Amino acid sequence: MTLTNEKAFHINQLNLYYGNKLALDNIDIDIYQKQVTALIGPSGCGKSTFLRTLNRMNDLISNCHVNGKILYNENDIYSSDSDVIDLRRRIGMVFQKPNPFPMSIYDNVAYGLRCQGVKDKAVLQKAVKKALVDAALYEEVKDRLKESALSLSGGQQQRLCIARAIAMSPDVILMDEPTSALDPIATAKIEDLINDLKKDYTIIIVTHNMQQALRVSDYTAFFLLGEIVEYGLTSELFSHPKNPKTEDYITGRFG
Amino acid sequence: MLDNLLKIKFKNTSRGRITDKISKIVFMSATILSASFIFVIAGIIFIRGVVPFTTDNLGVGRVSLFHFLTGDVWLIGETFASNLYSIGFIILSTLFITLLSLAISFPVGVLTALFIAKIAPKPIAKILRIVIETLASIPSIVFGLFGAGVILKLVYDFSSSIGYQSKGGNSILSVVIVLALMTIPTITTISEVAIRSVDPAIEQGSLALGASKTQTNFKVVLSSAKSGIFTAAILGIGRSLGEATAVSLVAGGRRSGLSFDLLDTTSTLTTIMLEGLKETTGIDYDIRFSVGLVLMVVILLTNLMLNAIKRRVGVVHVKE
Repeated sequence: MTLTNEKAFHINQLNLYYGNKLALDNIDIDIYQKQVTALIGPSGCGKSTFLRTLNRMNDLISNCHVNGKILYNENDIYSSDSDVIDLRRRIGMVFQKPNPFPMSIYDNVAYGLRCQGVKDKAVLQKAVKKALVDAALYEEVKDRLKESALSLSGGQQQRLCIARAIAMSPDVILMDEPTSALDPIATAKIEDLINDLKKDYTIIIVTHNMQQALRVSDYTAFFLLGEIVEYGLTSELFSHPKNPKTEDYITGRFG
Repeated sequence: MLDNLLKIKFKNTSRGRITDKISKIVFMSATILSASFIFVIAGIIFIRGVVPFTTDNLGVGRVSLFHFLTGDVWLIGETFASNLYSIGFIILSTLFITLLSLAISFPVGVLTALFIAKIAPKPIAKILRIVIETLASIPSIVFGLFGAGVILKLVYDFSSSIGYQSKGGNSILSVVIVLALMTIPTITTISEVAIRSVDPAIEQGSLALGASKTQTNFKVVLSSAKSGIFTAAILGIGRSLGEATAVSLVAGGRRSGLSFDLLDTTSTLTTIMLEGLKETTGIDYDIRFSVGLVLMVVILLTNLMLNAIKRRVGVVHVKE
């Protein structure tokens, strides 16, 4: 494992409220480029909420507001001149449940580029093929690109959603429990894929599965009640947790 | 202990079975009752409707089915003659009017639905929903009176301004406007339900890819809701084809000659069934059942066609 100090995100005193309820409490964390960072913690601890602040998906929730700073490549993504559409183009997201569009496999992958105004068929075809190859799905679907994405299995749909995100050539991919709806074999495929993808992308993954965090991540942050209790190299956090609460959680004493 | 539990369980199950049986019988009889009415009505229309073609209509003479379906004269209630009853031009103008009104009401209705479901702030959406539902429940005669009182005058003034002498505004255009006004609420209500039931996860997936809200609404939300939106169009067409009262107040009662001129008078299959209804015997009465039969066939064929298209549209299509 290579250690880099290049930061993708620098988060400083981030607080997030749903109405009056404090959901993220004074988060300070640096997330490193081309590393896999796992966010773990019990349900309702704020890890998904935190993930969604990074591409401003929380903007869609009407009573949600944020203060503090999230610097992405040195730019404050919550500043008034930040372009949320450009941000989401550079920070892709994969959701808990596969959510392919009700279109063909090809159209799903081409969707983001078409929304950016790419019309050249040759360019689209090349980008779609590359994204599907990189998402380890191409061999399975190359003969039926025109079929509905909904005809794929759950695991294939999730890899299609990853391909859809990759097609935009993002810098970062956010994954919100991407394997929680999948069987163990499909899960293993996604985990292998994450290992391949981290060469090119910064990956931040929310997971409930300790083993998964241990298998795929370089860094782990443990969330509890809206705070980060402990953050560090995955190997150290799991073998020598500094905080007794972390130890209790990773050893399965609660959560 | 275990024995006891089993006994209790069995007792409950047998009681449940009887309830199931009774409710099944109740549901089935309700279905049979309503379904049999459909057959009775269709049967009576059929039996009355074939009379003009099978008898000599009390001396007036037998009506030729081919001439009835293709001819372009409809002179009901004036001089009784079997060759004066023909509806070829009326079938065509009915379809033309239905298509034109759908061309207005479908885009307006769907866009209104999109606005209410996705764009309007919640309190405004709530008010709009009430407004649309109220509009949908307004009786057709009220739309007809509005058409006769307001739209006829507007159309008349419009046609005068372009130097065309219309017959008091009674025209295809007036019918199309009245029908569009009547079908917009139907199309809006049903499309809105379809749009609201689109899985928000799909929308979020689109936004997370850097699509704008407008792109998301048009490319993902509408295409996910297309089956429901199509149903809305089918019901809109049904309402247009079946509307008699309101249409008869603004159509002008055309008696002969096919015309697609928007400012010219017209007739539809429903208005000719309604207009000049006096006798309850003889060809003048029976022929309306024949028209009803044709209308039912037209509606049936349209629905079959639309459902076939709907199945095709439901299949994912590739833009390339």
